[in-house]
Amino acid sequence: MSIMQYNGGSVIAMVGKDCVAIASDLRLGSQALGISSNFQRVFPITDRIYLGLPGLATDVTTLRERFRLRVNMYTIKEEREIEPEAFAHLVSSTLYEHRFGPYFIEPVIAGLSKTPTGGIKPFIAATDLIGCINFAKDFVVAGTASAKLFGVAEGLWEPDMEAEDLFETISQTLLNAVDRDAFSGWGAVVHVITKDKVITRKLKARMD
Amino acid sequence: MANADGGAYSYSLTVFSPSGKLVQIEHALAAVSQGTTSLGIKASNGIVIATEKKSSSILIDDSVVDKVAVICPNIGIVYSGMGPDFRVLVTQARKSAQAYWKIYNEYPPTRVLTQEIANVMQKATQSGGVRPYGVSLLVAGWDINRGPSLYQVDPSGSFWAWKASAIGKNMVNAKTFLEKRYNDDISLEDAIHTALLTLKEGFEGQMTEKTIEIGVVTVPTPKELEESPVGANVRPKPTFRKLTEEEVRDYLAL
Amino acid sequence: MPDTLSLSQSQPQQHAFNPYTENGGTILAIAGADFSVIAGDTRQSEGYNIQTRYAPKVFRLTDKAVLAVNGFAADGNMFVKKVRQRLEWYRHAHAKDMPIRAIARLIQTMLYSRRFFPYYVYNILGGIEEDGTGAVYSFDPVGSYEREACRAAGAAQSLVQPFLDNQIYFKNQTPAPGTSFPRHLPLSTVLSLVIDSFTSATERHIEVGDGLEIYVVLAKNSPSIQGLRDVRGVSELTSTDDGERVFVVRRELKKD
Repeated sequence: MSIMQYNGGSVIAMVGKDCVAIASDLRLGSQALGISSNFQRVFPITDRIYLGLPGLATDVTTLRERFRLRVNMYTIKEEREIEPEAFAHLVSSTLYEHRFGPYFIEPVIAGLSKTPTGGIKPFIAATDLIGCINFAKDFVVAGTASAKLFGVAEGLWEPDMEAEDLFETISQTLLNAVDRDAFSGWGAVVHVITKDKVITRKLKARMD
Repeated sequence: MANADGGAYSYSLTVFSPSGKLVQIEHALAAVSQGTTSLGIKASNGIVIATEKKSSSILIDDSVVDKVAVICPNIGIVYSGMGPDFRVLVTQARKSAQAYWKIYNEYPPTRVLTQEIANVMQKATQSGGVRPYGVSLLVAGWDINRGPSLYQVDPSGSFWAWKASAIGKNMVNAKTFLEKRYNDDISLEDAIHTALLTLKEGFEGQMTEKTIEIGVVTVPTPKELEESPVGANVRPKPTFRKLTEEEVRDYLAL
Repeated sequence: MPDTLSLSQSQPQQHAFNPYTENGGTILAIAGADFSVIAGDTRQSEGYNIQTRYAPKVFRLTDKAVLAVNGFAADGNMFVKKVRQRLEWYRHAHAKDMPIRAIARLIQTMLYSRRFFPYYVYNILGGIEEDGTGAVYSFDPVGSYEREACRAAGAAQSLVQPFLDNQIYFKNQTPAPGTSFPRHLPLSTVLSLVIDSFTSATERHIEVGDGLEIYVVLAKNSPSIQGLRDVRGVSELTSTDDGERVFVVRRELKKD
């Protein structure tokens, strides 16, 4: 079995109207054995950027700390918060540094970027484990339930959803996808990022 | 005791003199003030940097001498002092800008690049076996966060932001001249003319498109910013560019 | 290298023959109260090559039973042929079509008889039960089967099945207070879910696409006939006069 499936877990991000959402399950496993039902794999990077790190759990921790360092250095040096586009490329280049001995993580990025005229623009992206970026306009998925997430998201997603609709859509997508995946599930968490706040909710999910 | 100026301290780069000076750095500044005058003016809608380019012989083909250098599409620099040292710094700055681009897929803000150059110059004041760079720089650039900004970097590695400044041989006079001429809402066109006028003060010989180099930063309009293409393989529209000889000639004619 | 040379000359070379191929595609069936919908795409592929854009995977067995086969196309076609032969024998012996419940059991025995050299196919059988209800039976390659309300199988099973869980079984949804979810959906809803499932699968899976065939089996005198008349691309395949009726809806899917 692939090392990408060793600990299980999945992440999805979706674009809405002036908002984005990112959601993940909470399972940490050791192959078929469940270890924890409260393993966080989505982290805030700035007030407007969230990063999901599905994959090998040890690399989740390592990469989270690595990105924390890089983003803190950036914030101090540039005296500003990093924008989602620049952060996505930072993630990409960090992963590509390890092209021939990669971190076993397929990151998902969701955020709101500032437009030159002072507005905001939803941004999502995902990369493979060596940093090849996928800038999608609708949704991105990663993790052991990625095929299932693709199927459900393709059926449920529609353009320009308001924050509450987006929350419902991403939640249903995640829940129904992870219920068909043996390595994902055991609870779920959703973050909806809007202009003036981030809504974080834990979902009631099947725990089997 | 080596000589009268700094005594034994004047040769060792990394040793302070009892009065708290690193005399090699002062010598470097002296080298700068022997260099040809360069200046920069920040306008309301852009920046101009300009310098005089004097050839020691009429036999030199001055079309290949570059004193204003493009670092990346949004930043350019000009120097006074030692040409060879400048070229090394240009190379370092360009590398630094490209390294930044490789990580973030965008070019560095002016301040970040200035800091990088300043770091390079500072290292040369504290490392063994090297001498400080014999140049002062004027860094002009535009970025989305701070807009147009103009910095000066000295051989010590210290740097400041200016509204207008001059470096090199005629800097004192030029600065006095700029202080009289400058106001906050000067337009880029006016600033270019002011720059030429300032250089004219104490210019030896004829001011022509061959003996002047000009670089300008143009601030993109909100419309241009909104319409700027995005994607993996599109180059950003440059905000810094050097004026062509034709353009310089036109400005001189006015 | 004399060693290697003598080795390759003396040792007999063994070539393993792999009798199976995976030919892609996806099938899907949903049971309604008095109808059953059985669908499949028509792309047939081997690896990254498309062998044909029109290879049916869904077959009318009788006026009340439709069989969808997915997996190794050669086995699938042969299996359908053999099932049809057994149904023909049944007609000769009993002068009637075999009930779907019996076809399901027949398929199990036929699959299990090849337990140690299986037909490399996933079967989904849809149709109308003797009591007039819509039925879906799904099988694994060696004959394990169950009756369900809906089932997806094949290349895009993992994409489609969780979507169906959500939309057919209303999994992870709670009904508004004082209401409950319907046990069976109307035909129009089922048809749009099937089409959505296949367009979604076509979008995200390279082995799915080209064409879509949706078979609809209606119970005797089913009122669902109303909605089916004006569906684009529908044609009737019924062979008897006063029993269940079979229709097929043909649609295009993206070909890239």
